Amino acid sequence: MLFFISLFGNTAGENKCGELEKCYSFNSSVHDRDSLQRGLGVYKNYCSSCHTLRYLRWNRLQRDLDIPETVLVDDLISNENVKTSDFVTFGLPEISPIGAPDLTLRTRVRGDDWIYTYLQTFYQDTSQATGSNNLVYPGTAMANILIGLQGSQELDSDGKLVLSSKGALEPEQFDSAMEDLVNFLAYASEPARVERERNGIYVILFFVVFTAVMWLLYREYK
Amino acid sequence: MASKNSLMTWIDRRLPVTENLERHLTKHPVPSKVNFFYLFGALLMVVFMIQVITGIWLMMFYTNTEEGAFASVEYIMRDVEYGWLMRYMHSTGASAFFFLMYFHMFRGLLYGSYQKPKELVWLFGCFLLFLLMAEGFLGYVLPWGQMSYWAANVILSLFGAIPFIGESLQVWIQGDYVLSGATLSRFFALHVVVVPLLMIALVVFHIFALHEVGAGNPEGVDIEKYRDKTGMPLDGKPFHPYKTFGALPAIGIFFIVFFAIVYYAPTGGGYFIEKPNFEEANFLKTPEHIAPVWYYAPFYSILRAVTFGIPFLGITSKFLGFIIFAASIAILFIVPWLDRSKVQSIRYKGIFSKIAMIMFATSFITLGYLGTKPVNEIRTFIAQICTVFYFLPFLLMPIYTKYEKTLEVPDRL
Repeated sequence: MLFFISLFGNTAGENKCGELEKCYSFNSSVHDRDSLQRGLGVYKNYCSSCHTLRYLRWNRLQRDLDIPETVLVDDLISNENVKTSDFVTFGLPEISPIGAPDLTLRTRVRGDDWIYTYLQTFYQDTSQATGSNNLVYPGTAMANILIGLQGSQELDSDGKLVLSSKGALEPEQFDSAMEDLVNFLAYASEPARVERERNGIYVILFFVVFTAVMWLLYREYK
Repeated sequence: MASKNSLMTWIDRRLPVTENLERHLTKHPVPSKVNFFYLFGALLMVVFMIQVITGIWLMMFYTNTEEGAFASVEYIMRDVEYGWLMRYMHSTGASAFFFLMYFHMFRGLLYGSYQKPKELVWLFGCFLLFLLMAEGFLGYVLPWGQMSYWAANVILSLFGAIPFIGESLQVWIQGDYVLSGATLSRFFALHVVVVPLLMIALVVFHIFALHEVGAGNPEGVDIEKYRDKTGMPLDGKPFHPYKTFGALPAIGIFFIVFFAIVYYAPTGGGYFIEKPNFEEANFLKTPEHIAPVWYYAPFYSILRAVTFGIPFLGITSKFLGFIIFAASIAILFIVPWLDRSKVQSIRYKGIFSKIAMIMFATSFITLGYLGTKPVNEIRTFIAQICTVFYFLPFLLMPIYTKYEKTLEVPDRL
């Protein structure tokens, strides 16, 4: 019995969120189209100069997020050499010269919680080349690109994050922008999830009815 | 029922269709009273069919090259109509296959489904477990994700641990000095052709052998003893329609659970499709923690539990681990000859058999849990104890089954 208790003790002690004991909890949803569109906006403005979405196609994005053709071609792609059936690479090379990873499947590798927390926990750190550091991923090579939105954070003597100067968004607005962004990334990692989670219930209901009918058949031949 | 239909008569003269339908379905006697443990065989057939059908679809769109494999899986997930459904059914099907297989075999152990004259049924089943493990391993490499690559590396390096021939054997299996595209394409060929063909052949043997000796029951009663005038055992019923229709509600319930996972938890919380496998294989970057899929975890635990070798024989701890890991599967093959009990079912066996079964099941589950976690001292220690508890019920079986007190088995079901 003691063995089993000690097992669980060890599990809880494992550090899976960098310097934080636990990541902030966030479960992405891909069913709020407005949120996905807002997330795409944040992505386009803040992520797309370094990070590709190499497995996602523009026209899939257009169809699922209900984006008008003109907005897609003029505002989002804005490159006449790129077709709508091409992948969302923003003209970046396949291997990033600065080592920025492709983000298409990132939420599936790291999990929603990790990405959501990572985006929130940048703080000023002059010892780093980028001038900032991250609680979830200490020593991260990514610069604090969201500082303009979130404002500048610093670590206090207890290791807690405190806002030292305000950004363009209030803290709640920033939270909600990051929720939109993670929702969008979760969508990009698996566009079929929209259809999957919407239709699953009908498949299950079909088999509930199937089982009921088969049960009646079985009773006849018991 | 011999058909008077002239077409059937014509065919039956040339191919014994009716005779075989009667022999294996409509007149094949099966025990009238069994419990839910006896449904797993039918469910395994269903899962096998799911794997074959979804596998054929996936094969149409998959690219078996180092450069193209990972991207082709994403292509299936995004651009192929219902490709995501095929892929999730196949990956969930793999987990379901093992889940059902473990219950099916545990049923065999509980109710003595391996005892004379069912030794061959059991042996073919053990071969099927072995092939299923090979099939799952080969298939897991194909998406060419980080865990595909590194888990395969761990397993292939075991062959490299065999003294003298190890290194060349590993190169021969890999087809390269490192795990590479050459390995991937041969694993693809083995996964889609060789192993499934062998499995189909063994399933046929498994069922033919079973129909020759007759299905068992939880009481361990021989139903062949008492027959009615038509030759049907008094405690038996024809397989069709009684058992076929009996299995249908179970198949329905299975599909409810199966599709609930496929639609709402296809990665099984990282246990069915592991998170690092959404990152393309990279031989320069080892994942923080290499874990096998849950269904190999008990055996992987046994492998890791062996932290010592036999230096004076030149046996490294890795090689000894490999031997004990192989023995943990091999020992299942000889169970029919280890059991000396007069009775079949656990219901009539003595207290030692019951303790042994509890010991085996507990250690198997604990080993499974440990196999998915990173090692530390205390976990290794528990895994070592559980490894001993895994083997003891089998190693001591000839003694305790021979001498323990058994109960009288009733005459009828």
